[in-house]
Order: sequence, then C-alpha cells, then structure tokens
Amino acid sequence: MSTQNIPHESGAFHVTGEARYIDDLLVNDRLLHGRVVYSPHAHARILSFDLAAARALPGVHAVLSYQDLPGENQMGPIIHDEPVLAAGKVECVGQAMFIIAADDEMTAIRAEKLIQVGYEVLEPILSIEDAIQKGELIQPARKIERGDIEKGFAGADHILEGTLHTGAQEHWYLETQVCLCLPGEGNEVKVLSSTQHPSETQALVAEVLGISKMEVEVEVRRMGGAFGGKETQANHTAIWAALLCKATGRPVKIRLFRDDDQKITGKRHPFFFEYKIGFDQTGRVTAYDVTQHTSAGIATDLTMAVLERAMMHADNSYFFPNIRIIGNAWKTNVPSNTAFRGFGGPQGMSATENALDRIARFLKMDPFEVRRRNFYGAEDQNITPYGQEVQNNRLYLIEEQILKSSDYLKRKAGVADFNAKSEFYKRGIALTPVKFGISFTSSFLNQAGALVNIYKDGTVLVNHGGTEMGQGLHTKIQQIAAHELGISLGKVKVNATNTSKVPNTSATAASAGTDLNGMAVKNAIEKLKSRLVEVAAAHFNETLGPGSQPDQIRFAQDQIFDESHPERKIEFAKLMPIANFRQVSLSATGFYKTPGVYFDRAKGHGNPYHYFAFGMACSEVEVDTLTGYVKMLRTDILHDVGETINANIDLGQIEGAFIQGLGWVTTEECKWDAKGNLLNHSPDTYKIPNVQDIPRDFRVKLLEGAPNPNTIRRSKAVGEPPFMLAFSNWLAIKDAISAVGNHAFEPAFQLPATNEVILLSLEEIRGKMRGEKVKSL
Amino acid sequence: MQGTRTDIEFGFGNGTERIDFAAEAHLSPTTTLLQYLRGRSDRKGTKEGCAEGDCGACTVVLGEPDGNGGMSYQACDSCLIFLPQIHGKQLITVESIGKSTALHPVQEAMVETGGSQCGYCTPGFIMSLFALYKQGPNPSRDEIDDALTGNLCRCTGYRPIVEAAAQSCAKGPHDPIAEFAPAMAKILQNLAQNSSTFEIRREDQVYFRPQNLTEALRLRQQHPTALLVNGSTDIGLLVTKQKRVLPVVIDLSGVQELKKVESATETLKIGAGVSLEKVRKLSEKKFPALNDMLNVFGSRQIRNLATLGGNVGTASPIGDTPPVLMALDAEVELVNLSENGVQSLQRRRLKVADFIDGYRSTVLAGNELIESFILHKNQPGITVKSYKISKRKDLDISTVSGGFRLGLDEKGRVKEIRLYYGGMAATTKRAEAAEDFLQGKEWSRANVEAAMDLVESAFTPISDARAGKEGRRVMARNLLLKFWSETVPQTV
Ligand SMILES: Cc1cc2nc3c(=O)[nH]c(=O)nc-3n(C[C@H](O)[C@H](O)[C@H](O)COP(=O)(O)OP(=O)(O)OC[C@H]3O[C@@H](n4cnc5c(N)ncnc54)[C@H](O)[C@@H]3O)c2cc1C
Ligand code: FES
Ligand code: FES
Repeated sequence: MSTQNIPHESGAFHVTGEARYIDDLLVNDRLLHGRVVYSPHAHARILSFDLAAARALPGVHAVLSYQDLPGENQMGPIIHDEPVLAAGKVECVGQAMFIIAADDEMTAIRAEKLIQVGYEVLEPILSIEDAIQKGELIQPARKIERGDIEKGFAGADHILEGTLHTGAQEHWYLETQVCLCLPGEGNEVKVLSSTQHPSETQALVAEVLGISKMEVEVEVRRMGGAFGGKETQANHTAIWAALLCKATGRPVKIRLFRDDDQKITGKRHPFFFEYKIGFDQTGRVTAYDVTQHTSAGIATDLTMAVLERAMMHADNSYFFPNIRIIGNAWKTNVPSNTAFRGFGGPQGMSATENALDRIARFLKMDPFEVRRRNFYGAEDQNITPYGQEVQNNRLYLIEEQILKSSDYLKRKAGVADFNAKSEFYKRGIALTPVKFGISFTSSFLNQAGALVNIYKDGTVLVNHGGTEMGQGLHTKIQQIAAHELGISLGKVKVNATNTSKVPNTSATAASAGTDLNGMAVKNAIEKLKSRLVEVAAAHFNETLGPGSQPDQIRFAQDQIFDESHPERKIEFAKLMPIANFRQVSLSATGFYKTPGVYFDRAKGHGNPYHYFAFGMACSEVEVDTLTGYVKMLRTDILHDVGETINANIDLGQIEGAFIQGLGWVTTEECKWDAKGNLLNHSPDTYKIPNVQDIPRDFRVKLLEGAPNPNTIRRSKAVGEPPFMLAFSNWLAIKDAISAVGNHAFEPAFQLPATNEVILLSLEEIRGKMRGEKVKSL
Repeated sequence: MQGTRTDIEFGFGNGTERIDFAAEAHLSPTTTLLQYLRGRSDRKGTKEGCAEGDCGACTVVLGEPDGNGGMSYQACDSCLIFLPQIHGKQLITVESIGKSTALHPVQEAMVETGGSQCGYCTPGFIMSLFALYKQGPNPSRDEIDDALTGNLCRCTGYRPIVEAAAQSCAKGPHDPIAEFAPAMAKILQNLAQNSSTFEIRREDQVYFRPQNLTEALRLRQQHPTALLVNGSTDIGLLVTKQKRVLPVVIDLSGVQELKKVESATETLKIGAGVSLEKVRKLSEKKFPALNDMLNVFGSRQIRNLATLGGNVGTASPIGDTPPVLMALDAEVELVNLSENGVQSLQRRRLKVADFIDGYRSTVLAGNELIESFILHKNQPGITVKSYKISKRKDLDISTVSGGFRLGLDEKGRVKEIRLYYGGMAATTKRAEAAEDFLQGKEWSRANVEAAMDLVESAFTPISDARAGKEGRRVMARNLLLKFWSETVPQTV
C-alpha cells in the first residue's frame, strides 16, 4: 500500500550521482556543441552581418541566422511575437541572433568572435516608469472591478495612497537550460529537453523546422529544477538545438552557461503598483483601487496570464467590498519575463499586504488584527472581485491554530521589550495569510492524459503528461497508481515524460501536476480494473466453480480477490498472463478535465479556480540597523494541503517555496545598467538564500483535518502557495525598521528589502526623527 | 635541479590514477577538475551549476595524509581546480563513496530526510556532508551550517539537508574510505618523494608546477610575466568564465615552503600558500578580528583552496583580508633568488599597508614571491575589529568592509586610530580625515558621530551590482558607529 512518507522515487539515484540529467547522457563522438550568439545591445537595428569567416573556421559545422530557418521564425507560445533569431533588429541584451554548431566549446567561441555585425543603436526602454512615460502596452489593459469604488472612498474614514516596486527574480534552477537533439530518419528528430511543457516544445520545434508534430519526439526524464523558468523558455534552447541538429544532421547539445542563462532568459515579472486604499476607524477596508504595471519584456510570452493571476490575487485573503484592479503590461527592452512559481500571485498580493501594514501603522493597531478583520467570511462576504465564491475557507481554522502555536501576541510584546532596550539591533514580527487559486486561468488547459501499461509479470509502467522537476510528482503518481491497483510501490514505475506516449498535454505548472495527472492516471487504472474484474471473476468461476461476480472483485496487498468469497484470491502478477491469454488488453489511456472552471476575460468574471489553498506564517526577525543585516530568528508555518498524499514531499514543497519567497523578498536583486545590461548575471552578485539564511527556528506544519472535496485523494496542490508565506519575513523586517522611529513613521519600503534598502529606509527615518526634534525646539 | 615530468598521479577513490598530459592532447593543464570529471563517462555525478565557485554542485573531496598515518579530507569546488593541482592527493567523488544499492551513511540520511528534490545540487551536498562526516561525530549546528554554506539548493530550503547532516554524523566517521586511509596515506607519501617540477608545454601555453621554493623562484626569474596561481580561486575564473587561454603559468600550489606556519611568543608567521581555512583556525584565539573576517570569507570549499598570498597578492579593492591585516599592522615577507654568484634566498619585509600600492597593484618585483605573513601577537592597549557588509551574509563579496584599529589612553582618549576601508575606493583606503579628527579626542558618541561625516567625505564610491554609492556611504559611516558601540569603555 502507499505509505505517506516514502522518499522521492529518485532519491537513491540523486544521492549517488546515478540520476541522469540531459547533460549526463552519453552520446557518440559525433555530438556537436551548440552555442547561442546574442545581442550586446538592448535596442538596435541590425544593418549588416557577415557569417562567412565564422563558417569557414575548421571545426565549425553550422552558423545560422534567421535567413536559414526552414519554418517559421517565431517561438512565442501563445501570441506569436517572439522571433527565434533576431531579424533586422534586436530588442534586448541577450536576444538570440545566430546559432553555431562546432566540435567543441572553444571552437564555437572562436567562431563567434569572427562574426561581424553592424548596428544602429537605438534608445531602450528599461524601467516600468520609462515605459509608462514613453512606451507602449504589449496587450490591451485588463480590468477587474466590483462594487462602487467612489462610494467606497466616500464612506472611508481615512484614505492612504502610495506606490510599491517589486523586483525581478531569477529562477536559478541548478541545471541551466539544456537540450540534446538527435537526428532520426528523414525529418525525424528526437528532442531530449529539460522542459516543463514537452507538448509545446514539440509543437514549436515542428513549426520552426517546418515539419509535422508526428516527426518530433520530445522526452524529459527529470529536470534539475525549473520553477516556471522551463515552462515556455525551455522551448528556446530546444528550438535552437533542433535547428542545428537539422542543419548538420548530427546530434547537437546546447547547455547554457550560467551567465548566459541569466542574461538570455526571462525572470519573474517586476511590478510597479499605484494604489489608493480607503478604510474605517476599525481597520475595515471600504475601497481598494490598484493599478498594476508590469514589465513584459520584448514579447508577450505568458505575461498576460501572469498579470491576470496578479490581478486575481490582489485580494489575497480579504473581502474588499469595493475594488478596482487595473493591469498594464508594458513592452520593455529586457528578455521576455515569464512564469515563476506563484505566477503573478506573489506580486499581486505584495501591494495589498503592504497597504494593510500601512493601515495598521496609521491606526496604531496590530497588523494581524487589521488583516483578520478583513478576512473573507465563512458564510458571507465570501465573493472574490471576479465573482467566485470562496468555499471551504480555512482561514479561521488556520488562524486559531497558528495564533496559539506561534504565540504571536506574547512574542509581539517580547519584541517591543527587546526594542525598548536595544538601540542598534531591532526586532520585528509579522503574521500573514495566503489564499491561492488552483487551476490554470485559461480554463481549457486544465486537462491531462495518461497511459498505463501492465506487463505480464505484473509490473506497471505509468506514463502521464506531467514532468518531474523535483516537486515529487512522479513519486505521488507512483503512490496513486500503486494505491489504486492495490500493489506494492516497487511494482510501479513512472516513465520519462514523452510526447509519443501521452500527446497534447498541458504544461506542468500552476501547481496542478498531481491534481490533473493523478486523476488521469486514476482514470486509466479504472479502465484497466474494469477489464481485470471480469477476468478475475471468470477465472475464479472456471477454476473454483461459479459464484464470483465482477463487481465483488477487489485489489489489495498485491492480490486480487472476491470480497464475498475471500478465499477466492490470486496474486496480482499471476492474473496478468491469464488476462493476456484471454486476449484482454493490459494497456489503457486515461484522461481528466477539471470540472466547472471558466473565466470571461472581457468581463473579468467567472469561476477560474477549482479550489483555493490557504496558509499562514508568523516570522520574527532581527535587523542590525547599522549594517542592514537581517537574522531570521523564527518562522512558524501552518499550511493547508488537504489530505496529504506524501507528507515529506509536501513539507519539502512548503519549505522550498517559502525559502524561495524569502530570497525574493530579501537578497535576490536584478539591476540593469543604463544600456540594458543585467548587472547581476551570475551567482557572484545574484544571491539566492543559502543554508545560513533560513530561519534558525523553523516550524512547519500541515493543517490537519481539512480534506479537499473532489480532488485526487482529497489532497491539494502545494507547489506555489507557500511561496507567499515569506511576506511574513518581509513585513517583519519593515516592523523592525519602523521600531527605530517608534512606529511613528511609515518606512520607505520595497521588495526585495536588501540590506541597502533597509539602510536607506533607516536613514530616512532617522532624518525624520532629527527633523522632529528641530521642530519641537 | 631535478628533471621535469609531464604527468600527475593521484589517489582516486581507493585506487590511483595517472594522467600524462604529453599523451592526452585533449587535456590542457588548465583543464579544470570538473571538466575532466564530466568528460569521463563514469563520473557524471559531479555537476556544474556555475563554474565560478558559488554553487558547490561541483564539490569533490580531496584527501591528504594528515601526518599521523591517516588522511584528512577537504571539500573543494572542482570547477576552480586546475588538474595538475590534484597531484599527490586523493580525489573522492560522489561515485567513490556509495551506490544506489549500497548507500554511504550520508547518502542514506539524505534519502530519508528528503534532502533531494530535483537532485541536481545533491552530489555536491553529499560531498560536503562526507567531508563533515569525516571530521568526527556530532557537529554543532554552526559547524553544519559552515560546512554547507558553499552549496546552493534552490528546491529544498535546506532544513532536511541540515537534518541529514546531524543524523548521519551521529553515526560517523567509519566507512570504506576510512578503512583504506592508512594505505592511501602511504601511497601518497610515496608520490611526494618524487619532487620534480611538473612542466607541460603546448602551442599556446606553458605550465609549471614546481615543488620547492628555489625552483619556483628560478622559474619566476626566467618567466617574469608568468601568471602565478596558488589556490586558483581568483585566476581560475579567467579560464572558466572568461574562457581565456593563460599563456605562461607558474603554479605555486606544490611549493611546500609556502605552506609553513611558525608560531613564536611574539609572532605568528603564516606561509603565503596556507589555505584560508587553516588561517581561520590559526587565528581563532589570538587574532579574533582576522578570524571574524575569515568566518564570512567565501565558503568552506573556497577557503580550503584559497590562500592568504592569493588574497593579498591580487590586491583587490574588495579583498577581505587586506583591511584587517593592515589594521593588525601585519607584515609581509617577500623572497627572491639572489643572482650574485651562489644562489641564495634573499628576503625583505614590509607592512601589508605598504605592499599594496594601487588598484590591483603591489610593490612585488618581477623576481619575487610572497613567502609569508607575520602577525604580531602582543599589542597591548590595542583593539582591532573587522567588519564585512555584503548582500548575503555568507559566500558573498564585500560591498563595504572595514579593518579598524584603536588605542585609548587611560582617560579614554584616542591615542591611536586607523580606519581601513574596503569597497569604497580603487584600493583599500584609510579614512584619514576622520582619524585625524578623532586623534586625541574622547572616544565618545558625539565625536564619533562627527567623524562619521568625515568618513563619508573621504570617499567617492561607485554604484555597481552590489549596491549604489548612496548605500555604500551609509554603510561606511555606520561601520564607524558600530566599531564605537563595540569598543566604548563600559561605564556601569
Ligand atoms: C566563490 C568565491 C568566493 C570568494 N569569496 C571571497 C571573499 O569572501 N573575500 C575575498 O576577499 N575574496 C573572495 N574570493 C576571491 C579569492 O578567493 C581570494 O582572493 C583568494 O584569497 C585568492 O587566493 P588564491 O590562492 O586562490 O589565488 P590565486 O587565484 O591562485 O592567485 C591570485 C593571484 O594572487 C597572487 N599570488 C598568489 N600567491 C602568491 C605568492 N605566493 N606570491 C605572490 N603573489 C601571489 C598572484 O598574483 C596570483 O595571480 C572569492 C572567490 C570565489 C571564486
Ligand atoms: S560549479 Fe558552481 S561551484 Fe563549481
Ligand atoms: S534539490 Fe534541486 S537544487 Fe537542490
């Protein structure tokens, strides 16, 4: 049976180095090294280029420009607005212009140096503010509105207005983008790609090569991390490698060098918010008006879906009776920003959480008290701005438990005591909630397929459309399949994801991998079981005399038995040759679509989510006010995963997402120079959390006794929602800064709150305090 | 003078391996250990995550005889090691310690705790854990953190890995590698007997790795433009990141004289080739300011390779040891091979503060090497402190750093003060106006706050990837206040 805490299906391979990633695959000595030559300018016309010298270099097998593409020069996944190779102009530093296949890396580098390009350099638009001033929207603006915003403000006791910046975040998967392409017969190409979306990789490779999808096979066994960064942008590397493979007729591998990966690929969308929030004396929000501006980069990519999710998470856990959310995605001269864990949700919530924090400071109330007063109700006040009812609201259950387990109120008093005695070190504490909608908001994407094969020895090979990037999807699928068939885990293997096995799938994204693929696998197994019960009943009746009915046949403990005649049983493995002999198929496909989800974009209204996941975190930090260094003292997390399928994996997802969120709100900073060069293009200057940055006292719990109706084994998606629990740390830092001015001043704040942001904010508060003293003289 | 050799020999797991560069045209002497491993079909476990020493995915363990018949083990970033540098060592990779059907205790613990998700960082963590495991049972949380600082994981959030460390080390340190350690120590000691210089000449590259100081200085004289390397944590990046071919290299990592440490009553003399991890341990008691700095210097994997000679020799404005060495009044001893008649070693000593004379520039002559550093133990009445501000506390380069020296008279007035700043100018620079202002004055909050303005006006810092100039100014000011807050005489 499926136990709850079985380790990752590849655990023993990971720890011994036996797990094979694409870069580890052994290829024959005809393998060529692929290299991408990218733009050094953020915006320029390409006046001329000459590839002759590069092509003539010994050891170089192909140098391709946009002129050499057999199919379409386009790799945008939804909107077709991103060229495979720059044609006539470049629009960001890092945009691919040429690709080279050579015997080895050094030869490819020498070839690159021989390429001559003439540019006319143009003015780039880099920041969102610049874009607002003189740029253009990449797609028409979006709006979600509910209630009467003007009335809401008119009825408010107080109104606060402000802005907030949130920064770009680099995915920093440990395995950079990589693809190995193997030529086959005729047009065939096999694409081994580190992609979250094999079907889309397949489609785009076919389009760019000008061949049909049946000729392209995409496979991914595992990724060395993805986090959304390989949802659409793995396609790019795959396409470039496939082009070179096609041009040379030889195997080609492209693995982006770390700095190139950071320069070429898009990031989490940075945002700029302008908001106005009205509230009454008790802290209840009466009206919230927010305009979300984001930087799309040079192409649409997934920007509109990200923006949509940001807009639909501006409410986070709160009922705002009157609300208007406007979303603008601006075209900018940076690589196209893309999916990243949370997919706009974190950004959408950030402005709201900061605004509620301001309200609390303004009213001199406890920030958590302000938050809870605005929570969605259990019975009423439970309709989101886009019209969906918040069902099975877990906020109250979580609140009750975490207030106790974290001892929030008592520790808050302790923080105040500490601060009263300490001048240079200040502590802060915050408790913040998350409500996150699960499903793709493009409703048709909520589908999945599976192919389950039982072999005659009773072992089971499961294929499904989801990809394994470390999130433990394959482990959970293995558990689900073993559980449904009543056999041991060791009898089930989950196969590499392959477009020939399960076609036309959606990306493994939106945290929905298990929800969707688990159901599809279950569906396939149900078909198989409906055949096997017939076989078993017939077999029992023939060998033991009549009496067994198919509907009484059960699967458990590696046995198939008749519930009404428990002595009638056969080993699972033993029945399979019998079924085969009886000419019964032991292979079945499965399919699933999420019921009841829809969304009307034009109206900004619908039921886009299958359900919501909830969580809360309480964090305490200590800020060295002279260096800006932050110590994460303690974090308590209570998170809702429904009924867990695998507690170890769910805890791992919660902790991992939270720490990634912690990086986003503290040390991970992307800066560009005036010419559009990314300054933080390697881990030398781009700082993700390391082991010393995690809370020293770190207590993570799964919410118990809250099963999720209508999902696979009553579980909930877990990949993304906990990312946003890191707002507790972000706002605890702000609380500590605020303590320097005895909470009399609103700290200037941004995301990420780097040590520099903290120090400058503190300077400002100290300045204001000095100013006050002067005034009071 | 002994003959030269074109091959290297090293222990590999519990076996040995020999590479003759004369026979292996595809390997250059600046091929990194990581490139070498990844080029082998049986060693794909070790991963590349950055090729610059920042992620630890490439971590391997290098073993050396510990002098007591056993072996000692250090985790290192294989992406920064030039292949000849592992000569005479034992190379241990993730494949050396266990397989999926027979896991090593650290591997077993990582599976159990869920320490791997995508698994790409995992082999590197396994090697850091293995090195920790070899240090003995029951490491503290601080020791575990320090051992894992050089490994980045983007999936797990580290908690299960820390748990795996505690779990497995409680059982240690016995394993198949331990059983073979005495034999390996003998093998390596035998290898060390042959002290001929490794020398390989290629069309575009000449590489020397001498084994003693005289030979190193002779080569230095013959090739004054040669690039020197020791830990290669600085120079390595020219190859891995800038993809440069280094035309002439003298690799000092085999020179035994540079690894000497001599402790006398008054002084501690540290060889230029001593690893910063060793210096960190040496400085623990007597030189807390240097120790503080080294505790936040790079990572364990970096400090096991990097040398003090390399850190001062590069004279980088953001090098972390120069400010504190200057504040400690440390000296540097330079050595050359005298030419008049008989060969003899000639030495000169000068203050570290006088050794660095500009942006990445020193007074080192073309025939000289740094031999050692001299630290003075007894400096009564003097307090030295060091500070490092970086975006991430650990494994980050300084945004601003400080090495401050203070002497107060019996009345609490400033008798002596020197404020060395890193990251604020093209080279380590003193805030002289602030020092002058404070000289002779009471070491009081008011005076220090006035001096903070002078610190600020002493520099015109730049804005870069790490911080803006505004931020740097605030940091520089604040460090003086921090220094004051930690040195102000406690009047209860
Ligand atoms: C990931 C990473 C993190 C780092 N973190 C830090 C940090 O926190 N703080 C910091 O200050 N630096 C840091 N560095 C930089 C580097 O590690 C240090 O400067 C280190 O001390 C260099 O020592 P090395 O032996 O490796 O130098 P090498 O690269 O071997 O040599 C560098 C240069 O030093 C000179 N040199 C070396 N030995 C001698 C000698 N005996 N005589 C004369 N000249 C000599 C030569 O000019 C040589 O070219 C980091 C580097 C990396 C890759
Ligand atoms: S590859 Fe990242 S440290 Fe070596
Ligand atoms: S497990 Fe994926 S990076 Fe560590």
